[in-house]
Amino acid sequence: MTLPLLDLVRIRTVLLDGAMGTELMARGLPQGTAPEAWNVERPGLVKEIHGEYFAAGADVVSTNSFGGNALKLAGHGLGGRTYELNLAAARLAREIAPAGRYVAGSMGPTGKFLKPQGEFTEEDFAAAYAEQARGLADGGADVLLVETQYDLREALAAVRGVRSVSSLPVFVTMTFNAFPRGYFTLMGDTVVKSAAELEKEGVGAVGANCTLNSEQMVGCVRALRASTDLPIIAQANAGQPVIGQDGRVGYSQGLEDYVRFVPEIVRAGAGLVGGCCGTNPAFIRAMARIIKKERS
Amino acid sequence: MNKDELLRSMNEAIVAGNKAAAAALGAEAVRSGADLLEVIEKGYVPGLQKVGELWEQGEYFLPELISSAEAMKAAMAVLKPELDRKNIEAQRGGKVVIGTVEGDIHDIGKNLVASMLQAGGFEVYDLGADVKLERFIEKAEAVGAGIICLSALLTTTMTNQKRLIGLLREKGLRDKYKVLVGGAPASHKWADEIGADGYAENAVAAVKLVRTMSGGD
Repeated sequence: MTLPLLDLVRIRTVLLDGAMGTELMARGLPQGTAPEAWNVERPGLVKEIHGEYFAAGADVVSTNSFGGNALKLAGHGLGGRTYELNLAAARLAREIAPAGRYVAGSMGPTGKFLKPQGEFTEEDFAAAYAEQARGLADGGADVLLVETQYDLREALAAVRGVRSVSSLPVFVTMTFNAFPRGYFTLMGDTVVKSAAELEKEGVGAVGANCTLNSEQMVGCVRALRASTDLPIIAQANAGQPVIGQDGRVGYSQGLEDYVRFVPEIVRAGAGLVGGCCGTNPAFIRAMARIIKKERS
Repeated sequence: MNKDELLRSMNEAIVAGNKAAAAALGAEAVRSGADLLEVIEKGYVPGLQKVGELWEQGEYFLPELISSAEAMKAAMAVLKPELDRKNIEAQRGGKVVIGTVEGDIHDIGKNLVASMLQAGGFEVYDLGADVKLERFIEKAEAVGAGIICLSALLTTTMTNQKRLIGLLREKGLRDKYKVLVGGAPASHKWADEIGADGYAENAVAAVKLVRTMSGGD
């Protein structure tokens, strides 16, 4: 029997996967198409990506459902297919997952604002995430990962929405920006406040992803460690997007430079480590070697 | 309340993002027969500038920025009919067409820039997200805008910023418009490479850039 993921984190560093969207685009996802649509239209390609991350050494892959909440899908005219597309997302990852590996149901932000900045209430958000969580849970996810959150109020609403339909562990990553005074989300939430309120809401793990490069992530993980006893997730970007000579988009932090900071991220207290924008299976393979070395 | 107190209170209402106070002070200015252009320039506008500074310093975040922009708009909503009635032309910043390019449904940054531009006195035509490139040009032609602002969050859709510039060239309209680009993957370098007229890293910088481009201070 597979050990619950939260038990594994207590024993050793857990390796997550890297970027999904760029992998889909590399396989021909047309501009403007909701990536989640491919869970039904191109299931083989989505599975292939999960398979590459597992082969690279990831203990956990995140489902192709980052934009799969009901509000975000509604922007693509797919709001009515929320359950179906998320169910398919989790099933694909589950089907390709080797024994003893895990599936995290990815749940990205709505892209909308709560009142007073926007039109939505916390109940609206909770319902949008609940519908997604139902599909992911029924499709076989081991945990639900509410990720890339820039508003703590939205993250808390998401957790409540997930809880209303599922008893799976909920992990949350917030997206922080580095300022001279510390790390803040777009809405101004601090690391301390985010960790405290999410912990109170009963999440299984908290963390940071996106925006920060792997060097900046070290400091952010330290700030998280000082704020909570929960397991900490760290998924840094490979720097910033840059335009290459050939006009194609790349990321400023190369693989070597990115992974250089992985040991520090682990020592700073991260128990679940993976990549975000600009990373790929090669990054995860390199991280797998480093983490194994750190362990021994 | 004497004039200095009035101007200071206006400044404070914007910095605090207090919509009700900003509007009430505007009404007070109208009632007392104050110089309305002066209260805008010396009361409200410095408040908005202060908010921009606080944001750049990492003291203010998005909620504060939006509240202040809303307070500014509430004040202008009170003053505008009075200015119109007296046939006074408030210093307008010109017309701006803005939107997120086609293929991209992300609009948080674009909305913030649109809101700040409006608060800054510009006449803003916000086309929304996932906007067909032709529509930017059609709208700009129709309303007589001088500036087109293009937002993109994705590395795959930012190429549409480049395509719009090509489209303007094809139509022989390139010199008629200033094209400004923004969004997470964009940069000064990107703007230079695609032949855009400018790039702004954030909403506060965007307002400054548009002001410069439209021949203001």
